[in-house]
Amino acid sequence: MDLERFVSERRARWNRLRELLDLAQEESLNPALLQELLALYRGASSDLNRARAMTANPELLGSLNQLVGRAYRIVYRGRPRARIDPRALRDFFLRDVPATFRREERIIRLAALAFAAGAVLGMGAVIADPNAGELLVPPQMFTASPKERVEHIERSDERIDTFSKATEFGSYLYTHNIQVSFLTFALGALTLVGGWLLLFYNGVLLGAVATSYFADGAGTFFLAWVGPHGVLELPSIIFAGAAGLRFGRAFLLPGERGRPAALREAFVPAFRMLATSAALLVLAGVIEGSFSQMSSKSVSYPVKISVAAVLFIALCSWLFVGKAKASE
Amino acid sequence: MKPLVVYSPEQVAIELVPAGLGRRFGAFMLDSALIIGATSLAGTLGRALPDAVAGLLVTTAGFLILWGYHFAFELLWNGQTPGKRILYLRVVDGRGLPLDAAQSLVRNVVRMIDMLPLGGVGMLATLLDPHRRRLGDHAADTLVVDEHQPAAVDLAQLQTRRFNSLRTPRIRKIVESRVGLDDRELLYAVCLRAPQLEERARYELFERVSAWYRKELAIEDPNLSAESIVRGIAALCSGQGEDQA
Repeated sequence: MDLERFVSERRARWNRLRELLDLAQEESLNPALLQELLALYRGASSDLNRARAMTANPELLGSLNQLVGRAYRIVYRGRPRARIDPRALRDFFLRDVPATFRREERIIRLAALAFAAGAVLGMGAVIADPNAGELLVPPQMFTASPKERVEHIERSDERIDTFSKATEFGSYLYTHNIQVSFLTFALGALTLVGGWLLLFYNGVLLGAVATSYFADGAGTFFLAWVGPHGVLELPSIIFAGAAGLRFGRAFLLPGERGRPAALREAFVPAFRMLATSAALLVLAGVIEGSFSQMSSKSVSYPVKISVAAVLFIALCSWLFVGKAKASE
Repeated sequence: MKPLVVYSPEQVAIELVPAGLGRRFGAFMLDSALIIGATSLAGTLGRALPDAVAGLLVTTAGFLILWGYHFAFELLWNGQTPGKRILYLRVVDGRGLPLDAAQSLVRNVVRMIDMLPLGGVGMLATLLDPHRRRLGDHAADTLVVDEHQPAAVDLAQLQTRRFNSLRTPRIRKIVESRVGLDDRELLYAVCLRAPQLEERARYELFERVSAWYRKELAIEDPNLSAESIVRGIAALCSGQGEDQA
């Protein structure tokens, strides 16, 4: 092949294609330019094939390959870039998310089972030996016996007494919790077992702590103290874990279709579950930073526990109860 | 490092050339510097805010910058972050298409695991994979490609030779009749790539090529160096040597 002729005859067209690609990256092209881009892309594709058949010149092949690859990404770009508008966001949370949760109920149950099994183990351990709690739970969570803690909190002034303290604490909590949910997802996605164990361990912690409060006669306090945010926070971690398991199944056990196809099927449910988890954690953090911290001097226990119950029922009916509206 | 080959509907094989670890690390450092800069800027600005919201806004901003930086830029800039753009890297889908939101989220959430012991997991995974994918790339089926524009073929570089002792009627005639298109391509490639070669490799390469052409074109002058023979023939082929005497 006459390299010089090949290049000099086509260089102008390649440069024009490059120009159009630069343009297409910034804005959407009008139909005439789009037609031109398509024609140039096809031309460059066949140039690349011809060049491959006739020469091994790495500079030429490299630059053509890159040009065609870039054009391919633009020509076959799936859907146009999504714009964030309020209606899409509403549809996402009111239609897409509930549909996904109903469809993925089995895997969510599996994740919840890990958590519940852990909780039962934690509970059993503390009942069998009240000191077991101190072994299972990190020491910083066991600064005082439940009874002492309740008395201390109920006697002293409100810990969170200003708006700024509430928002600061709340934002610390939800950023931290979202990272925990991300970690649960990532471990589940990569190892399956890791995500399941992390859920199990979280269950153990909750089971042990709750049981030691109940054993000390501070059960109502515990429900009022943990309930309002816990009914959102714990499911969120379970959802993130379920997203990880769903994804990990596609990643590690893709089956006959092969990994890329299985992964692509898992992207959407995993994304929706993880986004829901993060959104719920923001809400839970806000509640945990303010409402949950109020002692019985400000809000009585029954009120706090009822709020928790209402939140939990609302969450379940949003995600699981009834028939979901059709999702795309 | 092995290119990942995808086939377009036009049945053209497009090679996705994976980027090396060094450039990716460089991009990561640049991005991290920007993240740290933006976070501390947010902290400084936060001091000017009223107490009631300062804590909330600064913590939230820090969180959004840390987790949203890669995600947002990869979406807005089609697989690039500022660091990646400076170093000509781009994240693409494993099928050669642009990556989507879910893929970007997955690869950046899994980054958490890749970052464990100072990035050890990610580096090890990258080195073990022929396409240089870290765990996050595996999970999201993405690939970081090298978008460095290869140098265009520039034959003007050959024309710098002013004195060409091969420019005799006899040799010119032989060159015209015996040096085919394949030979020309070889000669150009050797000459254009010579400056990037190591001294010794360059010397040996020119020795071997020139030995062949010495025989083939019956060049007898023993004083000519290997490189001048090859460059001389290349210059004759590229059609200069007529004008400047």
